[in-house]
Amino acid sequence: MKQINAVIDRILGLLDRYPRRLSWLACALGGGVLAALLRFIQRATAFEGPLGLAVPHAPASVILVCVSVITGAALLILAATQPIHKRPWARGQAHRWDLAFLDRDDKVYPIMLVAAAFLALAAAPVLFVKGAGRLKLWLDLAGMDGRPSDNGALALFTAAGAFLAFLGLQQMARESFRPGRRGKGGFSAALPAIAGCVWLMETFRAHASDPVLWDYAPRLLAIVAGMLFYLDCAGMSTGAARPKRLLWLAGATIVLSALAAAGCRDAGDLLLLAAQALAAAAVLWRLPPNLENPPVVGQPYQPMQVPPQEEESTHG
Amino acid sequence: MDQEREQTEQSGESGQQGEPQTGAQARKAATPGRELYSNVRFLATLMAVLILFFTFVARIVVVSGPSMEDTLHGGDVVLVWALGYTPRHGDVVVVTQKTFQEDSIIKRVIALEGQTVDIDYNAGVVYVDGEALEEDYIKERMYVPSYGEGINHVTVPEGCCFVMGDNRNQSADSRYPDIGIIDERCVIGRSMCVLFPLGHIKGL
Repeated sequence: MKQINAVIDRILGLLDRYPRRLSWLACALGGGVLAALLRFIQRATAFEGPLGLAVPHAPASVILVCVSVITGAALLILAATQPIHKRPWARGQAHRWDLAFLDRDDKVYPIMLVAAAFLALAAAPVLFVKGAGRLKLWLDLAGMDGRPSDNGALALFTAAGAFLAFLGLQQMARESFRPGRRGKGGFSAALPAIAGCVWLMETFRAHASDPVLWDYAPRLLAIVAGMLFYLDCAGMSTGAARPKRLLWLAGATIVLSALAAAGCRDAGDLLLLAAQALAAAAVLWRLPPNLENPPVVGQPYQPMQVPPQEEESTHG
Repeated sequence: MDQEREQTEQSGESGQQGEPQTGAQARKAATPGRELYSNVRFLATLMAVLILFFTFVARIVVVSGPSMEDTLHGGDVVLVWALGYTPRHGDVVVVTQKTFQEDSIIKRVIALEGQTVDIDYNAGVVYVDGEALEEDYIKERMYVPSYGEGINHVTVPEGCCFVMGDNRNQSADSRYPDIGIIDERCVIGRSMCVLFPLGHIKGL
């Protein structure tokens, strides 16, 4: 019990130390919870009939759109007012954006990222089973009238993408302890982004003939936000850093993922949404303080002094 | 030792070991990674934009089956406008009627809410509000389809429409009880033009 209290005190202490971090998390998580609640209400009241067609101008739908837009605007204000330390060009600091996620003393960020990585990994077998099932059905009904147009290939690719996302998120967590040499900070985040591309195509393909936009538009928007969020994480290492945009996208990813996950019946999608929301929360936890107080790694470089080699003795 | 190694790695990346690096030099050093990143980002963003466009604004649909011959043929790729569309007389529309099948179907709007449809199979004529339609788009004279006369006299309820295929003798449409009258919310959009194959390109 004492340990739990100590952890809570430590987290509260970190929040007190960096009030901007608290604002980001409160806005994104609050907006996400509110959006998810409204989505549940919408699902219960704003659709009718056996086909689940949307009731035009249903209050729950209107309020949900308004809340999403207001949350997006609030995140935009936070991003615009986010203090950022001027990027230093001095040697040893030239790649400061690579270090934007670095803090050896903070365990919260890597724990969240590792959890996100394993959520993505858990999605892989679920998506594989779904894709394999569709492929089998497609093969079984070859030449018959009721053959589905979806052969499950995109679901199988998404399963492979989920595994890639697992690797990328693990690497991001690792680099928060120690910046990589080749990976250059967050560039491994491009892996979950690539997975997001395939996932986006799969989701679009699966709902292409669905006339009810509410059934899948939130999910598409959440995937797009997550994909761009991961890409901006990767961009922090390439001289194309957009830290304010990254923060906004992280917040939007949380809100839209919560919105899309509310009532989602597909376990694979649910796990991937949870993974990207957790990764975005981790970034909101770590990035604002690091933008205000950039981490410094080591001291200015000094060539290592090689001790003079002793002369080989010729005498026994 | 780790710290030393880290320092070495950081300095190795900067490409400068003895002097402060200028902004221009640092930007130049980052060029290959930035190139790669820019390409990946451009492709991913382009894909996201296209998918959002083809979700909210327009759709690409591949025609399957002979029900819209000779206007459309199996394999034709059709551009469908979805944004803000409400059905009108004579439009070729894409509809998803889940009581019939999960995939969408493509038909022509014959009547809208409040109108009465009468189908006279003996004369091969469709009447809307008592007036015979002049249909130069149908493939051939209409006979009783394989599933029977089905729904051949009906007043279209509010918010719904009555659709039929141009190839009346091989079309499962609003006459077929499993499809029936279509709720306008099931209409995905209006077919604008045939995009492919090249020989079939035309406006609709």
